[in-house]
Amino acid sequence: MAISPSDSADLTASLLLSYARDHVVHLLVIAVLAAYPGIYAIAVNSPLSAQAVAVLPRVETMVAVLYFGLFAISFDFVSGYTGYLSFGHTMFYGAGAYLVVLTANGKIPFLSASTPFVLLLVLCGLLAVILALLVGVVSFRLSGVYFAMITLGFSQVLYVFVRDWNYLGSNPRDGVAVTGRTAGFEIGIPGVDSASLAIGQLTGDTAELLGVVTLTTAEVSYYMVGLVVLICYFAMQRVIHSPFGRTLIAIRENEERARAIGYNTFYYKLGAFAISAFFAGTAGGLFAGYRRSVTPESGFYFLTTGDALLASIIGGFGTLAGPLYGHLFDESVREFLSKAGSGGGLLPYLRSNLGQGTLETVIYNGMTIGESIDVFLNGRAALYVGIVFVLFVLYVPNGLLGTVRGRLNGTVAKGFPMWFRQRLPDRDSDQSR
Amino acid sequence: MSGVLALSPFADSVPLFVDTLGAFFRPRTLFGVLVDGVAKAALYIMIASGLTLIFGLMGVLNFAHGSMTMVGAYLGGLLMVLVVGQETGDPTRLLVFGLGVVVVFAVLAAFGGLLEIGLIRPIYDRPPLSQILLTFGLTLILDELARIVVSFYGLQPISEWQAAMATKPDVLGQQHDLVVASVSGLKLFEIACGILAVVVIWVFLTRTRYGLYVRAGSEDSEMAAALGVDVRRVFTVVFALGTGLGGVAGILLAWDPSWGASVPLAVETLLPAFVVVIIGGLGTFRGTVAAGLLVGLIDATMTWWFQNAIAFTGLPEMTIFLILVIVLVVRPQGLFGVEEVGGH
Amino acid sequence: MSLLSLEAVHTYYGDSHILEGVSLEVDRGEVVALVGRNGVGKTTTLRTILQLTPPSEGQVWLRGEDITGADTHEVADAGVGWIPENRRIFSRLTVEENIHVAVPEGRNIDAARERAYETFPDLREHRHRDAGTLSGGQQQMLAIVRGLVGDNDLLLVDEPSEGLAPLIVSAVADALAATATETTVLLVEQNLPLALDLADRFYVLDDGQVVDSGDTNEVDDDDERFRRYLSA
Repeated sequence: MAISPSDSADLTASLLLSYARDHVVHLLVIAVLAAYPGIYAIAVNSPLSAQAVAVLPRVETMVAVLYFGLFAISFDFVSGYTGYLSFGHTMFYGAGAYLVVLTANGKIPFLSASTPFVLLLVLCGLLAVILALLVGVVSFRLSGVYFAMITLGFSQVLYVFVRDWNYLGSNPRDGVAVTGRTAGFEIGIPGVDSASLAIGQLTGDTAELLGVVTLTTAEVSYYMVGLVVLICYFAMQRVIHSPFGRTLIAIRENEERARAIGYNTFYYKLGAFAISAFFAGTAGGLFAGYRRSVTPESGFYFLTTGDALLASIIGGFGTLAGPLYGHLFDESVREFLSKAGSGGGLLPYLRSNLGQGTLETVIYNGMTIGESIDVFLNGRAALYVGIVFVLFVLYVPNGLLGTVRGRLNGTVAKGFPMWFRQRLPDRDSDQSR
Repeated sequence: MSGVLALSPFADSVPLFVDTLGAFFRPRTLFGVLVDGVAKAALYIMIASGLTLIFGLMGVLNFAHGSMTMVGAYLGGLLMVLVVGQETGDPTRLLVFGLGVVVVFAVLAAFGGLLEIGLIRPIYDRPPLSQILLTFGLTLILDELARIVVSFYGLQPISEWQAAMATKPDVLGQQHDLVVASVSGLKLFEIACGILAVVVIWVFLTRTRYGLYVRAGSEDSEMAAALGVDVRRVFTVVFALGTGLGGVAGILLAWDPSWGASVPLAVETLLPAFVVVIIGGLGTFRGTVAAGLLVGLIDATMTWWFQNAIAFTGLPEMTIFLILVIVLVVRPQGLFGVEEVGGH
Repeated sequence: MSLLSLEAVHTYYGDSHILEGVSLEVDRGEVVALVGRNGVGKTTTLRTILQLTPPSEGQVWLRGEDITGADTHEVADAGVGWIPENRRIFSRLTVEENIHVAVPEGRNIDAARERAYETFPDLREHRHRDAGTLSGGQQQMLAIVRGLVGDNDLLLVDEPSEGLAPLIVSAVADALAATATETTVLLVEQNLPLALDLADRFYVLDDGQVVDSGDTNEVDDDDERFRRYLSA
């Protein structure tokens, strides 16, 4: 059958349409995330203000969800797709974070303290890539538990190194803060002031939107960090959906077979490790740019990898986007049960709404309700997150996103529209695609 | 050149090096480092042997092992704090310690057995990653629970429990002259405990029927089952024993000023335990003992060097992890390991 | 009532369907050979009997009792011994310890050991050596002995002659023949003359199904009935 010009125009249109359909869920998620600061602002000023403050994570927290979510996604990129548990992944995150802070303090030779932040983010990624290649060349000769342990070993060596090396700062154990640069770290087009906005809670820019809404520093940071995370996510998603990504999955399913077909699995694994390290380094750079300080624990300690693992398992191992949701869950619970109660959470809400009498009611052996909340809930997020984590490992091994995908027989972006159309009563039966 | 030197953490050490080398090889120093190293080794072996038994038999890398040690430290510490008063004499204190070992072992072994039956048994047929994840989740829960309980009783969860430390007999707190140098009583006590633990485990593995089943099952659990061994029961027993052993290591650490009962003890012991188990070869007890000695001696040597010559606090810790990396690169199956264990 | 019977057994390894409805019977005192090409499911049949790879459909009966889904050690305790392919001796245990593992709890270990050493005097000499250091033939002897000392009613023997020198094969064959006078044996063997020599009856397995069976007296080793299913 020959294709006439009008046919081909139709074809283009339908391709575009199907592309948009494929990405409808992505667009929805992005729209919800983009609207979040607005939703938060409205909810907090609504009659349900107290409840909203208690339950919804603050925009500041959401910034952390984004950059750490990116780190967790990068962890999933290598661990979830190749099956090699990168237990030292935090070394890439830490390398990026330390690079930003040390550059700003003029401690990195040949790099000026005023290096544009966007360029710095790329350098963070490249530094992590170099590190990943060095570590990967020796580590990918191993697999299973041994691979996890050797990467853990490398990251712990670096951890001790940054913790005790006096060159980094006056008291490296407590971490290092940006002292050599007062200006905020700007995301945008380097050198074009009107196209850049600085991030950071104190040093960030505020912005006016359409002359009506003023965005706070946190909100500006949220959007700018979000922009970088979005670009990184789509980059990783492209890789996963390319032949390269399919080979990674083949390696995870059966490495022997992948090798027998003729793939040099070593290079594929090393490549995946380097790519994932790039984005982990970028995430670390964002973290340091926003927080303006980094500690050995937040940068290099193995429990930081543990947090990414947690996010991946709850969100869905090997789903790429899942870890972001997993980390959102983690951070939300942490903030809801936070001890300090800054910006909401359970305790301030109960304090202001329950009345002194209720809180002082003795429930057991001289222990009041207020005290028991303090002991069992506040600051105890790790307990509940841990329980949820164990339950997920036992009963929801595919995580949130993985389970939803399983139900929809494919990715949500592809499966959801299909699921939705099947439930539309009167449509032509053109579902053969 | 000077720029590069300034970047190095070892900058101020260069001129001192030869002098220090001379000082290190004095008999006094060597003996002190040796005792120190063997004492550290004793602790490392005690921390790691439960982990090794469990991994060797079941292939489960138990991330919750450090938490068991931490719980053991608190439980043993509690018992000693309750029984020992200021006036209590040294022999009684040692007796209470022995009682503590029994109680801690019993309680944690029971707990470990329940964990295995309830949580780990259902996921044996899943990929090994699941078991790592599950036990990792358990540490989060156990550590936080410990933090809740400890702060409920008004203790600082992150600093060492001094009251438990104070139940230590005086004789262990003192220095004793031995051959060429004076040695702390606690170190000798730790060495004695370590030797006792190794002997007990060795006898269990080689002289008892259950030990025979454990060794057979570690090599080929399917074949052992086909010969009539109830492998699942052996799994439970070994998980219980391994957990109990981890707890017993904890009660010993509650007396040691450089460890002490605290919640972070869980993580502080987990990492060296991993290192020792992997260097020795996952799942071989002989390897764990050898690796414990190696790591202990290197640790002691590096500690001496950092105290006397190299101004880099992290030297011992960094060296330990470097050994881990090097062993994995050069001989991935560990010093005494067999290739096929652990899947690589 | 047969000692062992399999009734329409289906067994899977992951997604691959290995046994597709195998039925067979073994009577007390018999030696039954299971022959067929590589990969047709002979070893899987033995593993299914032991419940190491439990069947997803069908039943395994032992002395008229349904043992489908039982634990492997229960099957072993019920008197089923296994002399597996590749021997699978515990290489880091001594010869003596290997024998000990196989002796059921509560039985006399010394008597069992004596019996083992009488069968293969070679083993007595090496009793304190790590089994991994033995020669292939000695390892096979140890594997056979492990099956004997369990006082089993039924021995599942998998490829006993594989990888052994001809002289050793005949020693192994003698030992199996001696064993067969006391026990029931289900034998998987590539070496067809040896299998037919030892066995009273045979089953031919192909693609997970029993395609032929009969008396070993009726056939010789280049019978048309075998050529079709055994030639590579």
